[in-house]
Amino acid sequence: MSNKLMIAILALVCAFGLAACSKAPAETAIKAADAALEGVRADASVYVPDQLQTVEDSLAAAKQSFEAGDYKQALAGAKDLPGKADELAAAVTAKKEELTKSWEEMQGGLPNMVEAIQSRVDILSKSRRLPAGLDKATFENAKASLDTAKQTWSEATAAFSGGNLMEAVNKATAVKEKAAEIMAALGMQVPQAAL
Amino acid sequence: MSEDKKQVPPSWDATQVHEVVKGDTLSKIAEKYYGDPGLYPQIFEANRDILDDPNLIRIGQKLRIP
Repeated sequence: MSNKLMIAILALVCAFGLAACSKAPAETAIKAADAALEGVRADASVYVPDQLQTVEDSLAAAKQSFEAGDYKQALAGAKDLPGKADELAAAVTAKKEELTKSWEEMQGGLPNMVEAIQSRVDILSKSRRLPAGLDKATFENAKASLDTAKQTWSEATAAFSGGNLMEAVNKATAVKEKAAEIMAALGMQVPQAAL
Repeated sequence: MSEDKKQVPPSWDATQVHEVVKGDTLSKIAEKYYGDPGLYPQIFEANRDILDDPNLIRIGQKLRIP
């Protein structure tokens, strides 16, 4: 065997060896990233979908590099992802706390607003004429909106009971806005928290 | 929604209040808020804790308007 052939064989062996050496860490890093994301994916998709998408994109890019044989790039892309998954979990916790606080505030205040509106609507319904600044069409619209608000509030409480905090808060926020609108239309004072 | 009756934070208080000014009567207040002076008993009943007589209201009194 000539020296040139020996050198070529040695170079090939080294190249394969190096590739094998960097493939395993990259594969391990991707598996670790996958596992870390799996633990937070469901909640993150509901509470912090944009942040989750960024991490998912990074993972996809790392996998793509791995498939293309660029193990160095794959490793670089995947190695930080378990840490990003931890950040996602922390963001989910923070978002849940924020939503819970919103829900508790609205749960304490909205029934009060709706009752005040209902009381006013009941009395105005007995009135022989409407007060200055309130016409019949506006009053009828307010009554219909009140029915909608009550229905939406029922849906919000059902969502909360079912553990769907995001939906509960979204619906409660819609009730708050609707109730504030109705109160303004009926010439009522709107609570500070609903302004 | 009555199951949620709790202490309401001040910023969520939806109590409707009218502060009595000179010349006010319950009938006039009822007309202002309801369009119908004949509905003054609604206001009187909502304020029985501070009113004994619907004809006796004082300037500066804060009345709940249901």
